[in-house]
Amino acid sequence: MKQGRAGEHRRLCLIQLKVAKRGDPMHQRSFAPYLFILPAFVLYALFVGLPVAQVFAYSLFAWDSGTIKGFAGLANYVRLFNDRVFWVALGHNAIWVVLTLTFPVAVGLFLAAILADSGPNIRRIASAVYFIPRTIPLVVAGIIWGWIYNPLFGLLNWILRSVGLGRFAGGWLADPDSALLSLNVVGAWTFFGFCVVIYLSAIQSIDPALQESAQVDGASWWQRFTRITTPMLNRTTLFLGLYASIEAMRFFDLVWVTTGGGPGYATEILTTQIYKSFFLVGDFGYASALSVVLLVIVLTIGTSAFLWLRER
Amino acid sequence: MTERPRWLHACILLLLAAYALAPVYLVILASFRSEGDLFAAPLSLPFPPDLSHYHKVWIEGGFGRFFLNSLFMSAGSTAIVILLAPAAGFAFAKLEFRGREALFGFFLVGLVVPAPSVIVALYGNLQLVGLIDTQIGVVVPQAALLLPFAIFMMRTVMQDVPNELLEAGKIDGVNAFQAFVRIALPVVRPGLGSLALIVFLFSWQEYLLPLVVIQTETLKPLTVAAATLQGRYGVDYAGIAAAGIIAFTPLVVLFLVMQRTFVRGLTAGAVK
Repeated sequence: MKQGRAGEHRRLCLIQLKVAKRGDPMHQRSFAPYLFILPAFVLYALFVGLPVAQVFAYSLFAWDSGTIKGFAGLANYVRLFNDRVFWVALGHNAIWVVLTLTFPVAVGLFLAAILADSGPNIRRIASAVYFIPRTIPLVVAGIIWGWIYNPLFGLLNWILRSVGLGRFAGGWLADPDSALLSLNVVGAWTFFGFCVVIYLSAIQSIDPALQESAQVDGASWWQRFTRITTPMLNRTTLFLGLYASIEAMRFFDLVWVTTGGGPGYATEILTTQIYKSFFLVGDFGYASALSVVLLVIVLTIGTSAFLWLRER
Repeated sequence: MTERPRWLHACILLLLAAYALAPVYLVILASFRSEGDLFAAPLSLPFPPDLSHYHKVWIEGGFGRFFLNSLFMSAGSTAIVILLAPAAGFAFAKLEFRGREALFGFFLVGLVVPAPSVIVALYGNLQLVGLIDTQIGVVVPQAALLLPFAIFMMRTVMQDVPNELLEAGKIDGVNAFQAFVRIALPVVRPGLGSLALIVFLFSWQEYLLPLVVIQTETLKPLTVAAATLQGRYGVDYAGIAAAGIIAFTPLVVLFLVMQRTFVRGLTAGAVK
C-alpha cells in the first residue's frame, strides 16, 4: 500500500517535471544512460564476450600447435563424446557438485541457526573464524592441505598414528580411491564459512516473532530449525546451491596445485582437461570444444536457477 | 531453551572452528620451526622461533618482489572495476532506456562464465595485442571477468538511493551525470568500499590468469610464485610455509579489520 502510494507520487512528480522542464538535460535522455554503461560494456565485450564467441568458433576447426589446419565440423565434439577421460572428468565435477551441496551448505545452515541464537560477540567472532579459510587463496590452501595429507610425514597420518588409529592412515591424495574425496574436504574448508555468513544474514532478516511464538508453543530447538528456519531460507539455499554448483563446475586452482588431475585421472575435472589440451598438447580445437561444454553447463544451471528464482 | 542443545551447540561450534583454524595454525608453526625439529611433532610450539625462513623467502626467494606484483595487479583490477561498475549499476538501477533488460542480461551471463573456458581465446587475443607476459595483460581481463559481479552488486546498492533525493536534484536542474556523482555516489560510499574489498580479494587470489599470461619470473604474483616454490624446493617445508603466510596474511588481516564492510558486500550480491 505504502509502496503504491510512493509510486503514484513519483509518477506525479515525473509528469510535473516533464511539463515544467522540457529542455532539461536529463530528459534529452536518448543516449546519457548508454554513456554510463559504455566503458564497462566495451571492456566486458572485448575480454569476456568476444572470447566466448571465439571459443565456440574455434571448436569447429582442426588445430595444430596454435594454427588452424582446416574446418573440422563437429569432429572435436565427436572425439569428445568418445573420450573416456572427458566422461571421467565430467563425473568428477558432478560428484563435486553433490558433495558441495551436501556438506558445506548443510553445515553452513546448521551453524548459522546456532549462531543466530547466540550472543552478538560469539556470532561475530565465530563467523569471522569460519570465513578465514575463504580469504586464503586456493593455491595456498592446496599447498597447506597437500602437506597435511602427505602420506609419510603429513599431519593427518601423524595424528591417526599418535592416537592409535594408525591402520586408518592412508595415501590420501596419492591414493586414487581417496584423492577426490580428500580434495573435497579442502574445498569444503574454504566454502562452509561463506555459507554461514550468507545464511546468518538471511536468518537475521526473518521476523523474530515467528520464532518466539513457536517457542511459547513449546517447540524444541530442532523443531524450530526444521520447520521454521529451514523453510524460511529456501531462497538463500537456492542461491547458495546455484553458487556452489557453478563453482563446482569451474574450479581449477585447488586440483591443479595438488594433484594436477591425478593420480592417473582420479581427480581430473573439466578445467584441468581444458588446461592440458590447451597448454600441454596445444590442441586449441579440442580445448575449445571442452570449453563450450563447460560454458553450456554453467549457463544452463545459471539460467534455470535464475528463472526459478524469478518465478517464486 | 532446554539445556541439552546448549552444550551440544557449543561443541559443534568449537569443532568446526578447529576445522577452520587448525591448518592455518599448523602453517604458522611450521614457518617458525628450525630444520632440526621439523619432523618431530607438527603441533608442538617451535622454540626458539626461527625467523630465517621469512628472510630467506622474502629476500632470496624474491617474495618481496612477488608481493609488490600482487599488490600492483590487484590494485589495478580494483581501480578499473571501481571506475566502471558504479556508473553502470546506477544506470541499470535508476535510469530508464531502451534495451535495459537485455543489456543487463548480457552482463548477468558473465556471472557464470568460468575463466578457464575463455582462456583458449583470451591467450591468442592478448598475444595479438602484445599483452602476453605483461601485468596489464592480467589486470585488464581480470577486471573484465569481475565486472558482471560488480555491476550486479552495484545495481542492488544503487536501488537503495532514495528516489526523492534524485528528484530533488532534477528540480534543481541537475543532469544525470551530476546526479550520479553528487547524489548517488556519496550515498552508496559504504557499498563502494565493500565492492573494492571483494574485488581486491578475488584479484589477489587469482591463479589461472597470471599463470597463463605471465612467463617472466619477476612479474609473477604471489599465487603463481607459491605454487612454483612448492615444485622447486620440494622439501623445504618451512620456506613454503613462510611463503604461504606471506601470500595470505594481507587478505586475512584485511578481512578481520573490515569484516562488517566485507559481509555487507557479500550479502548485497546474494540475499536479494
